[in-house]
Amino acid sequence: MTSRKIRIDVLTLDSVQCPACGYMMESIAALPADVQDMIDYTEWSIKTKDGIARFMAMKGKVVPTICIEGDLVFPSRIPQYEELIEAMALRASDQAMAARLRELKDVGFQFDKLEENLRKAGSGLSTREK
Amino acid sequence: MSKQLLIDAIHGRTTPKAPWFPYAGVNSAFNIKEKAEDYLRDPRLIAKGVAQTAKRYRADGFPLLFDLSVEANAVGCELRWWADNVPSVVTHPCSKMQTPRELGLKVPTQESGRWPVVLEAGRLAKPELDAQDCVLVGLYCGPLTLASHLAGVRIFTDTYKNKAFAHEVLAFADEVGAASAKFYADLGCEVIGIVDPVASQVKSETFAEFVAPYAQKGIEVIHKAGATSIFLICGDCTKVMENVCTIGTHGFAIDEQLNLGFVRDMALKHGVGFAGNLKLTMALSLGLISPREDTLVSLAAGGTRGFVLAAGCDLPYDVPAESIDQVMEARDWYYENYTPYPDAK
Repeated sequence: MTSRKIRIDVLTLDSVQCPACGYMMESIAALPADVQDMIDYTEWSIKTKDGIARFMAMKGKVVPTICIEGDLVFPSRIPQYEELIEAMALRASDQAMAARLRELKDVGFQFDKLEENLRKAGSGLSTREK
Repeated sequence: MSKQLLIDAIHGRTTPKAPWFPYAGVNSAFNIKEKAEDYLRDPRLIAKGVAQTAKRYRADGFPLLFDLSVEANAVGCELRWWADNVPSVVTHPCSKMQTPRELGLKVPTQESGRWPVVLEAGRLAKPELDAQDCVLVGLYCGPLTLASHLAGVRIFTDTYKNKAFAHEVLAFADEVGAASAKFYADLGCEVIGIVDPVASQVKSETFAEFVAPYAQKGIEVIHKAGATSIFLICGDCTKVMENVCTIGTHGFAIDEQLNLGFVRDMALKHGVGFAGNLKLTMALSLGLISPREDTLVSLAAGGTRGFVLAAGCDLPYDVPAESIDQVMEARDWYYENYTPYPDAK
């Protein structure tokens, strides 16, 4: 059986304009390839009405914030690699995925597919009302 | 428009009214109908955008640029350019835990990276702003944000797990910042700001160990030049507010996510100036909150001792000038009709 992917929403001002938001996004986009296979993530910029609507729906308090499975886990604090992995493991859809994530705790951030991963997450692409 | 009003307020002094300091970086490109990526590569366009927008916004101080990629690019980070935004840093030379020294990275000169464009723009814009009695403000990338550009997001883990590496990267960032401060001081900027948005994303202890010590070389350069210093931070920096107040600059700036009453009390306690905190998106960009009312709230909370009216952060590219008109009208109206704070001159 295939595990359901972990849902991550990153609430930002704009990951291009604001480095705090940018590095919050990068903390997800620089996760190793094995972790990338287990997550789906999107940037929500409050420079758009859709982004504000998502911010309010998730009961966001500050930007940037990393939300995992609907929980506001890292509000205004860019996480360390290990604590980010643990936060995802705690919210994994099954024990096998949680165990696999914890096995990856020593791998560390990887930067070789950063731009590609950021593009997939829509980073910087939805920061203006059209 | 008054340079002295801005300088006095950043120093924490009482002013007859709060000065107005709009951070219109790429918004100045929008105002002269240019794409950000063209504007930021042409000194004549930058000078034109700065002079016209400062005048349009009746600013007491105005940034030459609000672009935190200049320093990173000058030491070797690659950029991605955008039509409606500042460039983003897309490569991090120290991401494999090699230090700047091991990589042979050099502290920039005035010829490095985009500095020739920036400084030429400054030379062209300075007399225009002087004629308007408006401070040309030099803003440079602060230490933790530059360290993030150099090493990537791993730097936040390294401040716990690989402290020696993190200290080396930050020490290099301090030297780069001091070089930028010198360039702006030589240009004649009377106010120079250290912009470190990611410094809000760490704990107070991390700030004390990895931010404050590595802002000092730049602050020393600014003060030796007789200029006024300001530290700009964004996000919810409540947890590091005490650190920000004591970093050694004359004043600081925060964004809309902080309670301005709390910030004012902290600034008054430490005798420093403070700037903020109009709502960038909800008010100025999207108009979901009236910019006029947002301005009145800020002015009432900020008072006139050390307070600078400012946006929470760099104005987004396409903020309509009409939103800023509302800010200026509200400011005029406030000082005509509101009861002044008892100790206001």
